Amino acid sequence: MSAPPLPPAVRFVLGLGVLLGFAAAGQALVGALQWPLPGAVVGLALLWAALGLGVVKLAWIEPAADGLLGVLGLLFVPATAGAVQFLGAGAAWGLWLLTLTAALLLGAGAAGLLAGRLLRPGA
Amino acid sequence: MGWLALTLLAFALGVWAQARKRTPLANPTLIATLAVAGALLLSGTPYSSYAEAARPLTSLLAPAVVALAVPLYRHRALLARQWRALVLGGAAGTGVALAVNALLARALHLSPDATRALQTAPATSPVALQLAPLTHAPPALAATLAVLSGLLGALLLPPVLTRLGVRHPLARGLAIGAVAHGIGTARAREEGEQTGAAASLGMGLAALLVTAVVGLLALGHR
Repeated sequence: MSAPPLPPAVRFVLGLGVLLGFAAAGQALVGALQWPLPGAVVGLALLWAALGLGVVKLAWIEPAADGLLGVLGLLFVPATAGAVQFLGAGAAWGLWLLTLTAALLLGAGAAGLLAGRLLRPGA
Repeated sequence: MGWLALTLLAFALGVWAQARKRTPLANPTLIATLAVAGALLLSGTPYSSYAEAARPLTSLLAPAVVALAVPLYRHRALLARQWRALVLGGAAGTGVALAVNALLARALHLSPDATRALQTAPATSPVALQLAPLTHAPPALAATLAVLSGLLGALLLPPVLTRLGVRHPLARGLAIGAVAHGIGTARAREEGEQTGAAASLGMGLAALLVTAVVGLLALGHR
């Protein structure tokens, strides 16, 4: 006796509710323990654990998670638009980008070379 | 309402442009940011009133960060099989990027704001934003530098990794995800499914690692 599947819109609401619930749980946990961590990242770890333990089913949250991650780039536009406040930094932007680029190249180089060495063959 | 509409429409326009021009510079976040920033400057609107108007979007960031657990869980079989390469490689990449950002910022005598904002650039923008209160970085700068890290990574890393002789799709994807998060992951997906999966894992692991490092540093400063 399997219940009929929920309509897509309801599955989206269910998933969003679960995601918001884990964000709130993460927030409550860091508040209670006074951990210097953002609640949402702790919620990420909690959800990953809950999925692994089978407490939360992937199917419940898939539509909402894929929907949010699909437009993730939209959600922080309000923050990045705040870069207008830093236009006055002018030439310093060149140094910021130089630092960023050096970190990218050295970091990715280290990750790629080490991972390539540690990969198990045949997989 | 108008500002929210402009943000959504500019992002949709960016998605349309991205489907047409296959370059990381045709990026929806970049295009929407430029459109909003241009409109703010032209109309002389203070940023704070825009941030207020756009709050409905910002409030979806926390559940979106939680949703990053889904790609991590989806690729759990790959992670279980290749955990040494993926976890150690990813930690090395993100760790080196964190260290280079910190040391170079100090060596170049960058402003305190920029130094703090660069600290979280290897993590995906929403995570960098969530970390801003802990690093005392201006959130806008932390988010913007994280986006630029993704953009530059998507542009530069594929040819650089080829030159370094990193050919395995998993190693390439991981390297891109570990420092260039979302935008890099989108670019890595173009190389193939394995590359994209490894990039998703690299992005998720980087989010956790950067958070842990920032948390430990914050504890140390208490």
